[in-house]
Amino acid sequence: MNVDRSVLRQRAWTGLYSVAAVVVGLVISFAAIGLSGSPIGESIRQLFEGALGSSGQLAATVARMVPLVLVGLGWIVAARSAIFNIGLDGQIIVGGICATATALYVDAPTGVALVLAMAAGIVGGVLWAGIAAMLLARRHVNEIISTLMLSLIAVQILGWLLSGPLKDPSQTRSQTETLPSESFLPYLGNSDVLKWDLPLALLAVVMLSVVLSRSGFGFRMRLVSGNESAAHRAGVRTTRVRVQAFLISGSLAGLVGASLVLGSRTHTTAEGFYEGFGFDGIVVGLLARGSPWGTLPAAFLIAALHQGGGLMQAVLGVPSQLVLFTQGAVVVLVAISDPLTSRIRSRRADARDASGVPLAMGPAGTANVD
Amino acid sequence: MAPFDESFFFTALVLMTPILLVALGELIAERTGVINVGLEGMMLVGAFFSYWMVTEVDSHVLGLLAGVGAGVAAAAVMALLSINARADQIIVGIGIWILGLGLTSFLFTEVFASRSQIVVSVPDPINIPVLREIPGVGHVLFEQTALVYVAILLVPAVWFVLYRTTWGLAVRAAGDLPAAAATGGLSVRWIRWLGTLCAGALSGAGGAFLALGQVGIFQPEMTAGRGFLALAAVIFGRWSPIGVMGASFLFGASQALQLRLQGLPQVPRSVWIVAGALFVVFALNVLRQTSSGRKRSSWALAIVAAVVVVGALFTTEPSVSLPSQLWIATPYLITIVALAGLSRRGGTPAYLGIPWSAGEDAV
Repeated sequence: MNVDRSVLRQRAWTGLYSVAAVVVGLVISFAAIGLSGSPIGESIRQLFEGALGSSGQLAATVARMVPLVLVGLGWIVAARSAIFNIGLDGQIIVGGICATATALYVDAPTGVALVLAMAAGIVGGVLWAGIAAMLLARRHVNEIISTLMLSLIAVQILGWLLSGPLKDPSQTRSQTETLPSESFLPYLGNSDVLKWDLPLALLAVVMLSVVLSRSGFGFRMRLVSGNESAAHRAGVRTTRVRVQAFLISGSLAGLVGASLVLGSRTHTTAEGFYEGFGFDGIVVGLLARGSPWGTLPAAFLIAALHQGGGLMQAVLGVPSQLVLFTQGAVVVLVAISDPLTSRIRSRRADARDASGVPLAMGPAGTANVD
Repeated sequence: MAPFDESFFFTALVLMTPILLVALGELIAERTGVINVGLEGMMLVGAFFSYWMVTEVDSHVLGLLAGVGAGVAAAAVMALLSINARADQIIVGIGIWILGLGLTSFLFTEVFASRSQIVVSVPDPINIPVLREIPGVGHVLFEQTALVYVAILLVPAVWFVLYRTTWGLAVRAAGDLPAAAATGGLSVRWIRWLGTLCAGALSGAGGAFLALGQVGIFQPEMTAGRGFLALAAVIFGRWSPIGVMGASFLFGASQALQLRLQGLPQVPRSVWIVAGALFVVFALNVLRQTSSGRKRSSWALAIVAAVVVVGALFTTEPSVSLPSQLWIATPYLITIVALAGLSRRGGTPAYLGIPWSAGEDAV
């Protein structure tokens, strides 16, 4: 009982800090808008209007949020095993390429074609993350550098494929032919914005939260990220755990690549289809503080910023790149609030010790469990 | 030797310079114990603010100062958060990267989007008399712009400071055994602050060189991963100034080669020889570290196969033409392969990435 309450309180605090980080990030960004001479009040109004103004805007925000949830989960799985998968973009691209190629070249009935293309996307993401995972496990290559390099390589491969082998010859733009309708990601119910990737993302949240907090695999991941050498001595095959987490991370990014391609409005794969999703996923994962459920509000927020930022640019001419700046500020603020919470907690504990309460009566050891 | 001529090495040195500048800064920072993933963002602010300054006042010196200042400002944020607030260095670094990218793209659109593209003048090369007459190396080494000389001369300077001065000892102690540094009366925080600011200043200079030294324009995301190449160069150079220079030259040369090969109808023989030789070095290095017999024999087989393949390519000289995008990707691939071929032993500062607080017992 006592334990539960302290865990809950800790979660509430981290959640509150995430919200505070976002608020401060927004304040800084609006100050930047003010400095550049645009009206602040009107900008705020347009930001809200664009993100939540009508049911259509809200639906668009949710539609944008869905891939961010999945990429955010991808970041979290890796980060929970102390892997910084900053090359999510590359895994999204390769997933998208594989899904596109499967959709274009494999003839299959409706439904089957979709499943095949989605599976191909996952395979693509796993493959691209797998290269970095193998290099990490076998040759100790820093994954921050390898995943980023692989990302840059993937961008070039995509550019080549779309201007060469996969290009629609009747178009001047670098894009593929229209994908066959059997592989389209269908709309959800009678919505004309939301697609079937929404329930898929929710399912992924539930599954991942169970795996991370209830399964042996999740437990081993916690051991590995907590203290790798201790985990190793306790008999955990640490390298294997990290590789598995890396591959799951890649599979989620690959799935996003597939869903972006198969759910695209134009039904073609064009250059830049992946743009921004990798970055956004990192921000979502960090903002969610490693909690799968946390990706839902975090992704909603980032999606809202993008949608609102779009309207802000259209109406007031405030460059939408400001959203990226806001995200950077949020990441930096989230990074400091982590040690901040632990310091405040330890200061409280110090005060409690000083007040004469026996040490052993504190909520011992609960802080690191989740 | 078809593509490996004077103008190739000249370009290689030019392309090496931004990577080398940033990597030397990061080398100092990492020796004090701070890893900085945000180099890319710091280069971007350096590039943007130097370019902005030059469009306003038309002075390369002021432009460079603006770039360095912007890099230092970004580094101060990094230092404040990761050293004083003890935030995770890698996450702060990622934040600085996104922040730099967002800030420069935002400001570039805000300031320059309404105007047509301004190409500012590129600084004139400084030709060193007499030395430039030396056949072969004269043009390559002694007709460069100022920052190329600065970058190359910084290598022995950094080496000297790191290994022959008490300052260098303090830097190395802060990264390898901060408790000892603190016991000796040094402020680990202060040393790490200085190291981080060095990385920021040199990243700003590297960014300024990228914008002003070569093309005279700024474009969002123009660094194209060079900050991460610098990070890789520090690892590949095993945290030593000489090694970092070698690594930076490898990355710069691979960019120069890729630019050259894009324009050729076929890959010349000499390139096959160099590629084959590099692969053999790589494979021998892996072989030396592998103990398992089966793996050893397969790597030995790979070396023999490589020699045969290179020999075949050399004699037939087939017309291989890659699309330009794949040529652009090769330096990134070479970076990965270089890190993969690296032997694991030593070099990493023991307390790299670990926050330090004076009150804690670190050992």
